[in-house]
Amino acid sequence: MRRKKFIFFLLLPTLLLISFIILYPTISGVMLSFKNYSLYNFQNIEWIGFENFKTIFSDPFYIDTIWNTLKWVIFSVFFQLILGFILALLMKEPFKGRGVYAGLVFYPWAISGFAIGLIWSWLLNGQFGVINDILIKIGIIEEGISFLSDPSLAMFSVILVNVWYGIPFFAIMILAALQSVPDSLYDAAEIDGAGYFTKLFNITIPYIKPTLINTILLRTIWVMNFPDIIYGMTRGGPAGSTEILAVKMINTVFYESDYSKAAAHGVVIILIFFIYTMMYLKLTSKGEFSL
Amino acid sequence: MKKKIFPKVIRIILLSMFFVFAIFPLYWIVITSLKPTQEIYSFPVRYWTNNPTFFGYKRLFEFVNFKRYFVNSIFVSIGASFVSTIFAMLSGYILSRKEFKWKYPIILFLFFSQMIPTYLIMVPQYTMFSKLNLINKLTSLIIIYSGFGAAFSTIMAKGFFDRIPKSIEEAALIDGCNEIQSLFKITIPLMLPGLSAILSFSFVNNWNELFTAVMFLNTSDKYTVPVGLYSIVSKAGVQWNVLAAGIVIALLPTIIVFAISQKYIIAGLTQGSLKD
Repeated sequence: MRRKKFIFFLLLPTLLLISFIILYPTISGVMLSFKNYSLYNFQNIEWIGFENFKTIFSDPFYIDTIWNTLKWVIFSVFFQLILGFILALLMKEPFKGRGVYAGLVFYPWAISGFAIGLIWSWLLNGQFGVINDILIKIGIIEEGISFLSDPSLAMFSVILVNVWYGIPFFAIMILAALQSVPDSLYDAAEIDGAGYFTKLFNITIPYIKPTLINTILLRTIWVMNFPDIIYGMTRGGPAGSTEILAVKMINTVFYESDYSKAAAHGVVIILIFFIYTMMYLKLTSKGEFSL
Repeated sequence: MKKKIFPKVIRIILLSMFFVFAIFPLYWIVITSLKPTQEIYSFPVRYWTNNPTFFGYKRLFEFVNFKRYFVNSIFVSIGASFVSTIFAMLSGYILSRKEFKWKYPIILFLFFSQMIPTYLIMVPQYTMFSKLNLINKLTSLIIIYSGFGAAFSTIMAKGFFDRIPKSIEEAALIDGCNEIQSLFKITIPLMLPGLSAILSFSFVNNWNELFTAVMFLNTSDKYTVPVGLYSIVSKAGVQWNVLAAGIVIALLPTIIVFAISQKYIIAGLTQGSLKD
């Protein structure tokens, strides 16, 4: 049938390409996690069952990595959401130069994560960093803080930077959703004497809930999969204090060259995503998730 | 009179705070790239420089061969964004206009392919490409980036197509066009803003990609800009004005592309409501 052929030929290039670049490597990546492929063993690669998983789970620092990943994801997404929401509310009402303003406050989003990490590692430098200088001048601190070499501060610092990077995305999505809330709803509420927090929680948030749900879901997955900023700032250090799963996996590839073990880390990440997505969609009621 | 959500003064203060927070790092990296070496490491910090110098930029282009990285990056990013946008245009059209049995599984497949960590599939991709003899070639990056891009670009394209009324095509069909003619003569011209959004969005992503490029490129004449920055950082004793100059050069194309197509990108994101 001609119609079917038409559909088939226009979809085929994309599906073939994605199967070749993503689907097939994913399957072989999962298979790799059950083998013993490393730089020191690339001749006789064989199945070793769950050995790689046993190795990674028996690492006493693995639990720290999981905690780091959770902290990184939860705090980053939470503050990106809250601050992005506030920015969107501020930008909802038109003002002079809003277009230019949007271009400037949204630009962090177009920069490479690695470059962002580098920029901020310089801003937060313990000796020559401008953030320290500002804090000293305001009188908050007396001498420079080593934001990135102090294990108790490093995670806070990378999250701060990730929030900086992620605010625009939430603001863009929420701003677009806010524009779609009909004015008549606010007018009616005002006649009933509602204050702005009442309006915010009873009209605005319920109305844009689907956008919030989708954006949080996608950002969580993306933030968890995003080692670039941490790589530019600390590479997981000091003393593993900023090592999230994604960073651990890259370090396993680049420094240990144990590709099967790295793949096992990847499989753990996919499993976490799978459980998270299922739970999230269940909790937020499936009907509202539309593609 | 409608009541404002925020009183005016608070609004201006908050908007300015967001502005300073967003823009200050950019200012700082530009000023650092122009400082002479002795000012870089002075503390208290200098917020302005009276002796701006292009020393950082000069070193970057004389010793690090940044020009080569820049050309490589342009080649890879433009190549891959065009390929993925063309693919996405065709498949996004089908997913927007046609009803067929496998439609929703395919959309779901596109969505889940966004979840796969790129670094899980880096090693299998490397093995695959080395069998095809494509290691240390920029072509392999074009193929891989096109694949990553095709998935989200298709979803974005579907969102844009959904906004173009079907009736326009139906009219063309009645006038005697066949489906392919109506797609290329009527629908795609209407899609141009959408396509430019998809194209620029892919460009930004491709331009910024680091880890696959680090894995695939092993001689410095093949490096892309992010790999170049990565290698500068890996070398001991790098000067911050040189690195800052590198970051500024690395930022330029994405900032230009973002500035030009910002409006469309935002529309595209919120239409498709997906990002990788």
